[in-house]
Amino acid sequence: MKEVVVLSGKGGVGKSSLAAAIGIILAEESRVMLADTDVDAPNLHLVLGAVLESTEDITASEKAFIDYDLCSRCMTCIDICRFSAITGDTEPVIIHYACEGCGACAISCPVDAIEIRPVVNGRLNLFSCVGLQVVAGALNIGESSSGRLVDVVKKRARKEAKECKADLLITDGPPGIGCPVIASMKDADYVLLVTEPTPSALHDLQRIIEVAGHFKMPLGIVINRADIHPETNTLIKQFASENGFDLLAEIPYDPCLPRALSEGKLAVMAYPDAPSSLVIKELAFRVLQL
Amino acid sequence: MITRLRPEIIQSFHRKPFSTPVIGVTGGKGGVGKTTVAVNIAASLADMGMRVALVDADVDAPNAAILLSLPQEQPLDVTITVPLFDDKKCNGCGECIKVCRLNSLFLPKDQTVLLLGECNGCEACFLVCPTEAIYRGQRIVGQTYKTVKTNLAVYTGELQPGLEESALVVNELKKRVFDEADQFDIIVVDTSPGTHCNVINALKGADRVLAVTEPTPLGRHDLDLILSLLDQFEVKRSILVNRADLPGGKGLIEKTAKKHETTVTAELEMDDQLLQSYVAGILVVRMFPQSKPAKILNNLARNIAEVKA
Repeated sequence: MKEVVVLSGKGGVGKSSLAAAIGIILAEESRVMLADTDVDAPNLHLVLGAVLESTEDITASEKAFIDYDLCSRCMTCIDICRFSAITGDTEPVIIHYACEGCGACAISCPVDAIEIRPVVNGRLNLFSCVGLQVVAGALNIGESSSGRLVDVVKKRARKEAKECKADLLITDGPPGIGCPVIASMKDADYVLLVTEPTPSALHDLQRIIEVAGHFKMPLGIVINRADIHPETNTLIKQFASENGFDLLAEIPYDPCLPRALSEGKLAVMAYPDAPSSLVIKELAFRVLQL
Repeated sequence: MITRLRPEIIQSFHRKPFSTPVIGVTGGKGGVGKTTVAVNIAASLADMGMRVALVDADVDAPNAAILLSLPQEQPLDVTITVPLFDDKKCNGCGECIKVCRLNSLFLPKDQTVLLLGECNGCEACFLVCPTEAIYRGQRIVGQTYKTVKTNLAVYTGELQPGLEESALVVNELKKRVFDEADQFDIIVVDTSPGTHCNVINALKGADRVLAVTEPTPLGRHDLDLILSLLDQFEVKRSILVNRADLPGGKGLIEKTAKKHETTVTAELEMDDQLLQSYVAGILVVRMFPQSKPAKILNNLARNIAEVKA
């Protein structure tokens, strides 16, 4: 089984729409599993109009807990914490979203009043639609440790993919270049990078390529809305060819894409002959050949 | 699912040791126009004569300086303390290895402990070493920058590609700006997408937040998440709907806004001049000051300035 992860650096360039479209096109002939590791804003199921089949809590984080019956209010823990995750004037209070669960406070507590415990930080949701399954992670609001949640989602997606003998696992990744992005990339075979011809998207593309390079990942570039600015489009193509990166597709801007999205449909299904749909179809089969 | 936060946590979120107002720009979903809105508002406020700090706290993918066509200046390294081991003092007891929750410490046979792999700088290992064999090393995890152009100062945080410590860079960036807050009449903070701890840290101290969204099912879904977060922290907020003329979903945005008792203060439509200015690296409020989006953004900036006064 091959594993492709869709990333972009910049948000909103079309990662989820593209992952969904490629998935649904290839599902007609191959077995495809989809994973959504944008755990902060998991949208893949919305693009697909997929139905929730099951959901479960994920415990992929650890936090400090204070036993106030034991706590002597010495406030030592507040100074020890390198993440500014403890506050309070009369007694220490753990700021859960900032707590990394490192345990430094527990070590330094003179009365052993602090314990590090695993906590639920998100959910694992299984969705399905015609011919496809989606394994999606959802971080609980204001929670942390999204990287570890991504690890859980990927592990589960691989297991599901193996069970249904999938040929391909497509992961719709998060924006950015940090912890959850690196976790999404881990052990994948190929990174598909989506960008658009704007200075911001190009800048973020270069940053995500640095990360992919750091982990020696093979990669290819897709330019979405390729015709909205020809000059920047040329810059991206120059950048790709100078560095020896494959340019996999140039998808034209197509008003049928937002229209389909607002209708709760996928453009490649609702408008199969639209210019963008034809390019995406070609791209999908290229992804299968990678 | 929504947990009620302890009042101390909400207080610490709102605490700021200065009176300069802080405006946050966020939105949940990526690519809805957060940075475009933030830079235009900041420039508009600056053009009114206010001393403005614009803070790009999307340290994974910072773009504000690009939209302003400004270089990154006055770099400062963001560092963490990592353990280094003194082989004369290390007795090989392995206590440090036991407390490292990232499992990054190793003890090769008959040798000194080694740091292999990631380190978040928690310093737990320092606390347990019985022989004081660990001394302080530094690792650079990113940079903060400050570029001043007349009365607009742009502060940017940048995470080193390949590293995971976004939160530390956001915190250092906020500290740099907040330490200099008295020099400004207003601070505008642009966040990363999402609802994670980096977004919370970026918005820390914000008196008011503008949530940018677009009328698609995805925009609505992520707006719901970010508004839930703002509910938890009891933050004053309003909504800007970008690409408001996209077909369909505006009703959905209104429903979500109502659910969180939030009003839509502005709507921007898709606009050729807005796109042109975006790719040209000149702000729409300066390149096409008479255009519809420029008027809307200038209006929004004026409202923000008035709230301040």
